[in-house]
Amino acid sequence: MGLWEVMTGKRKVKGPAPDRLFAMSTAAVTLTTQLGLTSRGEAAIVFQALATADFASIVADMQEVVGGTSSDAGTKIESRDDEFGYRWMVLRDEDFEDLVVGINAVSGALQAGGYGDRILAAVFAWANGKQPIYWIYNYKRGFFYPFVPAGGPQSRDSEHELRLQAQIGKELPVEPDLERWFPLWGAPI
Amino acid sequence: MMGMARPTSFGRDRGLQTRMFLTGLGLVVVYAILIAALIAAGAGALLVAVIAGGFFLVQIFASDKLALSAMGAKEVSPAEAPQLHATIERLCVQADLPKPRVAVAQTHMPNAFALGRSPKHATVCATTGIMDLLSPAELEGVLAHELGHVQNRDVMVMTIASFFATVASYIVQFGFFFGGGYGGGYSDDDDNGGGILPLILVSIVVYAISFLLMQALSRYREFAADRASALITGRPTALISALMKLESGMARIPKQDLRTAEGMAAFFIIPPRVGQSISGLFSTHPPTEKRIAALQRLEAQLQGTA
Repeated sequence: MGLWEVMTGKRKVKGPAPDRLFAMSTAAVTLTTQLGLTSRGEAAIVFQALATADFASIVADMQEVVGGTSSDAGTKIESRDDEFGYRWMVLRDEDFEDLVVGINAVSGALQAGGYGDRILAAVFAWANGKQPIYWIYNYKRGFFYPFVPAGGPQSRDSEHELRLQAQIGKELPVEPDLERWFPLWGAPI
Repeated sequence: MMGMARPTSFGRDRGLQTRMFLTGLGLVVVYAILIAALIAAGAGALLVAVIAGGFFLVQIFASDKLALSAMGAKEVSPAEAPQLHATIERLCVQADLPKPRVAVAQTHMPNAFALGRSPKHATVCATTGIMDLLSPAELEGVLAHELGHVQNRDVMVMTIASFFATVASYIVQFGFFFGGGYGGGYSDDDDNGGGILPLILVSIVVYAISFLLMQALSRYREFAADRASALITGRPTALISALMKLESGMARIPKQDLRTAEGMAAFFIIPPRVGQSISGLFSTHPPTEKRIAALQRLEAQLQGTA
């Protein structure tokens, strides 16, 4: 942040960083074969739903677009609101590749509508046996990070998360700053 | 729909930037005059500046802890305040900020404030009063306003801006002290610079002018933080309704609470002053109606009706 911005106040919310979302498609193979994780067939994009006139129609268009992107037209999309007032566009597809493509289509539609800066994150639902694991893509920073809820209220399995980071190695651009591994509690996927 | 190019949700506010810049420039000019007077007055006066510099460093590095304990605020863990932590975490993702420490003050006075010299050393504090009073969306707007202060480094800006004003006030308060030692013995020596009396006079003027400029700067920073809140949440209306609730809420506050909080007024979302009409010139916060009007303009831009 430059001196001028400090002097006069920051005026912009960061838009999406250079897109590294598709790294998830390639990393999925490693996650499945080497780390023994399984995709739960769900992914979501989390954003702030604005109460403006054109926002609702953009979201409606988005749902149509996603229906048309998957190879076998099997991607299901639905929207859920969480307790913090954020909207989750949840995509469901057994084909993981289609999930990533669908997520990209959703974020693309939001960006084209001028609401790219409202996107918080993309979340991919994985599991290690019964243990749910989330890979979160922070759009502002263009990095992924793991999030493993540990069952109890507000407790996360940091050790497991760090192990995942080490195991995935360079296959995914993982957020280097551990302070930015923000949890997303109450994920509806 | 897809072809519609909306570059950003909000436009820029050049007027605000210009006013902030001019205020800053005014402070620089006034302080340059003071520095010149200090040099002219010689070693004793410079010593005052060095002492003030020491206090300045203490202020930058310790003021957040001092202020937190003065407010009776305690840092809380995610397990103790899950909702507050989760709300702040999401706002931090949106604002691309590291997560600040989160503190809660046990008081009925509804307020929130941000402390710390940089985003990496920031603390955001909310009172139990404000958490009871506001809806989740309104509280989010207020927390985003505080994160706006963090993002804009307002504590640092205001501390630096007040440095020479502090020096000037020391000189006014203790100047005769420092001057006394020299003045008595060397009163016949006319060429040892300007002497202490002109310095004290300059200091009084500098203090008065810089005080007004700082109040103005503080008000502009409030507008900037309101704007940041609107940018971060995308909901200027949530902050508007929070401000309206807070203003009516503030009027019910008993006076005992206010005196203890007085020194921190600049960092509050709403200054804790009641039953007292202060002229706009002397206030650290703009009147709530003006803040609401500015936020309404942002909402109109967002809705595309501006």
